[in-house]
Amino acid sequence: MVKQYGLVIDLERCTGCNTCVVACKLENGLEHGSWVDVKTIGGSYRDTPEGDHPALKMHYLPVLCMHCQQPPCRDACPLDAIVKADDGIVLVDESKCNGCQACLSACPYGVLVYDMGKNKVRKCTLCAHRVREGLDPFCVICCETEAMYFGDIGDRNGSVFNLVDRRRAAVLKPELGTKPSVYYCPTRHGLID
Amino acid sequence: MIKASTERIVRTACTVGDGVCCGLLAHVKDGVLIKVEPADFPDRRFRHICARGLCSVKLVYHPDRLMYPLKRTGKRGEGKCQRISWDEALDTVARNLTAIGEKYGYESIGFATGANSALILIYLRLASALQATWVNIIGFGDAAGPCGEMTSYGVLNGDQHLTDFEHPEMCVLWGANLVETHSLKWRTIRDARERGAKVVVIDPRFTPTASKADEYISIRPGTDGALALGLMNVILEEGLVDQQFVIDHTVGPFLVRSDNGLFLRERDLVPEGSDKYIIWDNATNKPIAFNEQRARPSLVGTYHINDVECKPAFQLLADLVTRYPPHKAAEITEVPPEIIHRLATDYVTLKPTSSYRGGGLQRTFHGDLSCRAISTLAAISGNTKPEEPRSFRLRQGAFIRVKNQYFKPMSLLQMYEAIQNSQPYQVKALWLAEHNLMNQDVDNNRVLNELVPRLDFIVAADMFMTASARYADIVLPVCSFYEHLDLVPPLQGPNKYLQLSQKVIEPVGESKPDVDIVNELAERMGLGEHFSMSAEQYIDLLISSKHPSMAGVTRERLKEGPVELPKYDVSTFSTGSGRFEFYSERMKPYGQELPLYIEPIESSRRPLAKRYPLSYLSTHTKYGNHAVFANESWLRELDPEPMLEMNPADAKQRGIKNGDMVKAFNDRGSVKLKVKIHQGIRPGVVNINQGWLHNQYAAGTHQALTHGVINPAQAAVFEPNSALYDNLVEVMREG
Repeated sequence: MVKQYGLVIDLERCTGCNTCVVACKLENGLEHGSWVDVKTIGGSYRDTPEGDHPALKMHYLPVLCMHCQQPPCRDACPLDAIVKADDGIVLVDESKCNGCQACLSACPYGVLVYDMGKNKVRKCTLCAHRVREGLDPFCVICCETEAMYFGDIGDRNGSVFNLVDRRRAAVLKPELGTKPSVYYCPTRHGLID
Repeated sequence: MIKASTERIVRTACTVGDGVCCGLLAHVKDGVLIKVEPADFPDRRFRHICARGLCSVKLVYHPDRLMYPLKRTGKRGEGKCQRISWDEALDTVARNLTAIGEKYGYESIGFATGANSALILIYLRLASALQATWVNIIGFGDAAGPCGEMTSYGVLNGDQHLTDFEHPEMCVLWGANLVETHSLKWRTIRDARERGAKVVVIDPRFTPTASKADEYISIRPGTDGALALGLMNVILEEGLVDQQFVIDHTVGPFLVRSDNGLFLRERDLVPEGSDKYIIWDNATNKPIAFNEQRARPSLVGTYHINDVECKPAFQLLADLVTRYPPHKAAEITEVPPEIIHRLATDYVTLKPTSSYRGGGLQRTFHGDLSCRAISTLAAISGNTKPEEPRSFRLRQGAFIRVKNQYFKPMSLLQMYEAIQNSQPYQVKALWLAEHNLMNQDVDNNRVLNELVPRLDFIVAADMFMTASARYADIVLPVCSFYEHLDLVPPLQGPNKYLQLSQKVIEPVGESKPDVDIVNELAERMGLGEHFSMSAEQYIDLLISSKHPSMAGVTRERLKEGPVELPKYDVSTFSTGSGRFEFYSERMKPYGQELPLYIEPIESSRRPLAKRYPLSYLSTHTKYGNHAVFANESWLRELDPEPMLEMNPADAKQRGIKNGDMVKAFNDRGSVKLKVKIHQGIRPGVVNINQGWLHNQYAAGTHQALTHGVINPAQAAVFEPNSALYDNLVEVMREG
């Protein structure tokens, strides 16, 4: 099996604390925005539920680059600036990117960010710089509720895939065939998005 | 490698003020703090960081950071200042404090300072040396819980008796939004839930914590005590009381005299008898002095002893509880009776049940009574741990005391009276450190219009030009916790480690740690001999308490990492009786000997509600900690501006639409901001997440709506609390 680094995120554990969002900013020096977005699945504002008081429901969904096995962003890039590395991490080669943003509309998860100052598209690197030194991504390190797990999704005997199996974790928009490497353990209500 | 030679990692501890006290690994490159990450603990469950902890790095190098001392040149509040040297600043402070001390007496100098670490208490030492006043600011909103715990358990942190279970079957969170306010506590609840425990959240708001619960119960604000009484009613009616616990660990069997409300004592029966409590012994059918071994005490009934009618304290509790059958409790709390019934059943079948009481719960005028009622429920249902919670004792007396003298203590709300009405004496000078009075404390218009003009001299020691600094005569720039050494005790459970907050970087600008400021000022005021110690020496003094909790603790060990405080056994409660006191003689003068329910002073059922029908809350979120991060851009990206939260039903009645600018107001003041309409907040209740700065509102401030009415029962037992969640307002569309 090919190596494919990825994440498993336990949505029952995730409390929407946004520590991953801030951790990403700190690790990657992002003054504005973050490569992780914690969406509220509920009402129309952040941190608000759906339903009628007091019969209410809400959960959180951290969304970041899915490091797809079939990344549509890569296929959309006219300059081959988006590459899939040997370890499965999808990276933007900033030396090749000319800021055309074709990838932005190709990505079904809305996780690519156009950096106007640099005129480049940027996104989650799964902290490749850390991972390649044997460290976990910084968002995983900081996750307040220990809801994020990093590992080789491709290793069907590994602990991360085991979690996928045991918790019936699923990916977002599987019907598109992008084969994301970020899995979500559903909430107790069986919900993901 | 260049990288290795210039980057180093220092272990420190976070003291931003949420009481979690996370261990941090700070990365420093070329003398600059570049990043923090969570540090490991021997017990890995304590490895933790939050968004605020990560953003603490941003405060260090914030463009608005105060870099040098300032003196006021404009009017108070204008923020017009001029840079001065430390010598001029401290000379000016020394001169003014001396002049005020000589003119009005040194007690008229008030130090109103925080307590997020050990060494910030250096201000208490200075106050002692000067014979000045130290104002305990816990009454800004956190004092009522400790008042209740003090009465019930004899210790301020007695709520740990309710939560310190290894494997709870149920966790009930009474007004506790721990997901946002204390995520380390939340983790223990989450772990219990993953092992199968049921989680119940009782709150007028559907918080992120409520979203994680198995059951969410929406309640009318301030009525938690009535709910607890309703649950007790079911437990009593159905004969489910844990009688053994009541007999072994509470004052339940002790007879109470109906003529004076005091416990019957042996001396009441026998001339020259002892203080021993009297019980009605079922074996002999006689009143006898309580003796743990052979007693078969009665918990019920009425007994005439020497012509005095007496009842076991438990019978008095039962008499109170009888008045709150589920339908009555439901009418008060607006929690359906069937939910009351079910929760009561769960309390006695899912044992042990942990009861968490939140900060919000105790921010109504009678919040201490709510806490006592919940504690009593936990006791009679057998969900209380008699062993005293883990505790620690630093050598604080020696640290604070000077020449065998202590400062004059005062509560925060009494300070308002002292400044405004000279009660019990006048306060003419105020020193604010780790305390943003002009932004964060109750009744902001009273603070600005009645208190500030009466103060001859104000000092603010802060990292930023806060509202308080703008009203100060001298502003002193202080270090962040990364810039000096401090000792960090475990402020709130479940943390069990003593840590050093180690110096990571040099002070930014001309900022100084509070210890240095106090030492240098004391020297100028002729008190140098008592203020010659360094931070290291003060820490050595503090850990030399000889208390069992400090066994083997040295600064050298602390430098290496966190030191787990040894657990020592205290097998009884710390009350006068050594038992859980649901009946308190001490509270008798206030008619609160039992945990009765009293309607909040500004509730939707008070006459004032005709004019101001909405209950106003000002809660805490994950996006800040009080006002500490209000100016921090990363957290403001996530939560950019203050919003008033309102239920759609209330908005519709007032013709208010999402995003409208609204004014919330009452007789005390108003605040103007945008509205966020959603179902997560109960009809009849509005909320502003507190901590925003004056200039972040269109007008006014969240604290313009609150009051500082003193609860004398709380003042008697500990400190009166600010009833921040016991305020009525009206809201209208504005422009």
